[in-house]
Amino acid sequence: MKVHMNFQTSASVSRAPPMQPLAVRCALGMEVKKMIKINNLVKVYKLSNKKMQELKTKNPEKIAVKGISLEARPGEIYGLLGPNGAGKTTTLRCVATLLKPTEGDIQVCGFDTVKEGEKVRDSISFLTNEIKLDPNFTPDYMFTFFGRLHGMTDEQIEVRRNELFEYFGINAFKDKKIEELSTGMKQKAAIAVSLVHDPKVVIFDEPTSGLDVITAKSVTDYLKKLREDGKVVIVSTHIMSEAEKLCDRIGVIINGKKVCEGSLAEILESTGTDDLEDAFFKLYSEHGTDEATA
Amino acid sequence: MKGASIIIRKELKRVFGDKKLIFSMFILPAILVIGIYSLMGVMIGSMQSDIEEHIAKVYVVNATEDLKTVINRDDMKMPAEINYLTASDYASQEQGLKELVLLGDAELIVVLDEDFEGKVNAYSKAGDAIPNMNIFFNPSENYSQQAYGNFSRILAAYKDYLLGNRLGGLDVLTVFNEVDQEIVKEEKKNSQFISMMLPYLITMMLFAGAMGVGVDAIAGEKERGTMSSMLLTPIKRNEIVVGKLVSMAILSGLSSLVYSVAMIIAMPMMGKMSGDNGSSGFGGVSFSVVQIVELLAIMLVLVFLYVSIISLLAVLAKDVKTASTYISPIYIVVIVAAMLTMFNSGKTHPIYHYMIPVYGNALAIGDLCGNELSSINFLACLSGSFVVAVILIAAITKAFNSEKIMFNA
Repeated sequence: MKVHMNFQTSASVSRAPPMQPLAVRCALGMEVKKMIKINNLVKVYKLSNKKMQELKTKNPEKIAVKGISLEARPGEIYGLLGPNGAGKTTTLRCVATLLKPTEGDIQVCGFDTVKEGEKVRDSISFLTNEIKLDPNFTPDYMFTFFGRLHGMTDEQIEVRRNELFEYFGINAFKDKKIEELSTGMKQKAAIAVSLVHDPKVVIFDEPTSGLDVITAKSVTDYLKKLREDGKVVIVSTHIMSEAEKLCDRIGVIINGKKVCEGSLAEILESTGTDDLEDAFFKLYSEHGTDEATA
Repeated sequence: MKGASIIIRKELKRVFGDKKLIFSMFILPAILVIGIYSLMGVMIGSMQSDIEEHIAKVYVVNATEDLKTVINRDDMKMPAEINYLTASDYASQEQGLKELVLLGDAELIVVLDEDFEGKVNAYSKAGDAIPNMNIFFNPSENYSQQAYGNFSRILAAYKDYLLGNRLGGLDVLTVFNEVDQEIVKEEKKNSQFISMMLPYLITMMLFAGAMGVGVDAIAGEKERGTMSSMLLTPIKRNEIVVGKLVSMAILSGLSSLVYSVAMIIAMPMMGKMSGDNGSSGFGGVSFSVVQIVELLAIMLVLVFLYVSIISLLAVLAKDVKTASTYISPIYIVVIVAAMLTMFNSGKTHPIYHYMIPVYGNALAIGDLCGNELSSINFLACLSGSFVVAVILIAAITKAFNSEKIMFNA
């Protein structure tokens, strides 16, 4: 909690431009850990005969990620930007310990994702559209259930419940079965449940995908709040406007490779373009090939 | 194993927190089983009494006075309307009467040779002519079949009467007296049917129960994406496996217990309602405390074996439909293995038979019903299934750690 409070203070002092908080913290002599450090990540999928037929390839291997390295720090939102199939989700799944790197390694809060998977999972929240809450239960029960699986006491869970249910307005439907909720309500419940253990690292894969504008706004607002609270937030997106507004730093991934990284201003400067969309298309024309990678 | 207990509580809450699920999993099957078997008993009983009480139309041609006397004896009464015909009447109606029997409108035609008793009395030595009695009935008609059975009793009595007259008594035909005395355990005497059915029912019902809850608990969660959310928590994967398996074992055990108890209640009810006096083995099986403990131990290890098999197949499948496809052939194997023990001639099985999962369990339950299960066979049955279950659980844990299986990666 001490680290949490320090980050909150430092993040609220100054946030933009994104590299400045780090400099401020360094100037103040505070230790800033690299909460996520991906080192030369390679992920190769072995294809079954059926998959090879589906993809119309004779190659039994598919390289989804080709040596990505990146770092994400407390108090920043790091965005992975890339087209569908670029390797964003695979990268995030490796960070979340759901997949094992074929080569390279990943450190989360100083823990190795392969050797210390349980400690990593205790430090992170990972939310994606493909991972859902059991529709037979209420948000209230799911919150308690996942809190207990994270080793929290009922008192700790209650404190977090009051905080998160209040913020997301879940109290109105907390006793309804999840299957009876609207998409927006389900997403809010899923976010609250994923944050029950107050993780240091928050990973959201396509956080606003499939949501209406109002729910999407509440999600992005909360991501900003998490940044203010000093969390490491890492999101993947293919929506340029979302990346522009939300991310402090952006890593552009094309065909499994990180082709560019920096703040919005740095990316525009390096590509000589006026907005992120133009920058992305320029990078894509330089690095994108017909080769399907992910 | 704190994580496992949290998962067990959640899985049990999913069922016991939902009144519809409780009704469909535990109450409805019991009602259906007892209801269906009772109805079958009532229907069989009603059919039987209808056949027995039906007034049969019987035509007797050239009936002798002695035969008429036997027919009218109080101990030979049968529900029938007996029509006596002369040979000339019969000659004119023969085809019509046979047509009536064929169509089920009449039940029996008995035709005695003309001067039947004269021919019987004229018999003096071997080789002399003996008279004929032709009986026409329709074995495809229940009423006709029943009338034939009833009339056969009358004919046997008539035959005895004529033989007695010829020989001056029937004692001359008796060379020894046969006295049958049964030496049998009373509880076993009336329970052959249950003893034959119980191993089959338990082994099959347990699998059906486990299949119902197991497929959804693992393949369903994988398909819905809710399994991944559990895999993202800091608990060990083997705790998730144990949590899932134990909760499935509890639910499927309860479900099959409901089925089995309902069957045990329903079958004697069916026997009673159908008018059975217990001689067909519809009576109940009585167990001692030790036998009940042994039965529960066999059922427990069998439940673990089943949930392990079903869980492994469910975890290998990417969705519920595929899981059901994988499990169907196994269900057939279980039914066949259980059926093999139903037709047991009573020969002693070697110990390794008891170690074969499913088959060995069914054998042991069968022996238990007859109070013939030895300790060594009991232990062989438990150890065989337990070892296989442990191997399968290890395979499931490995599968839970496989990104290819869990995330189709």
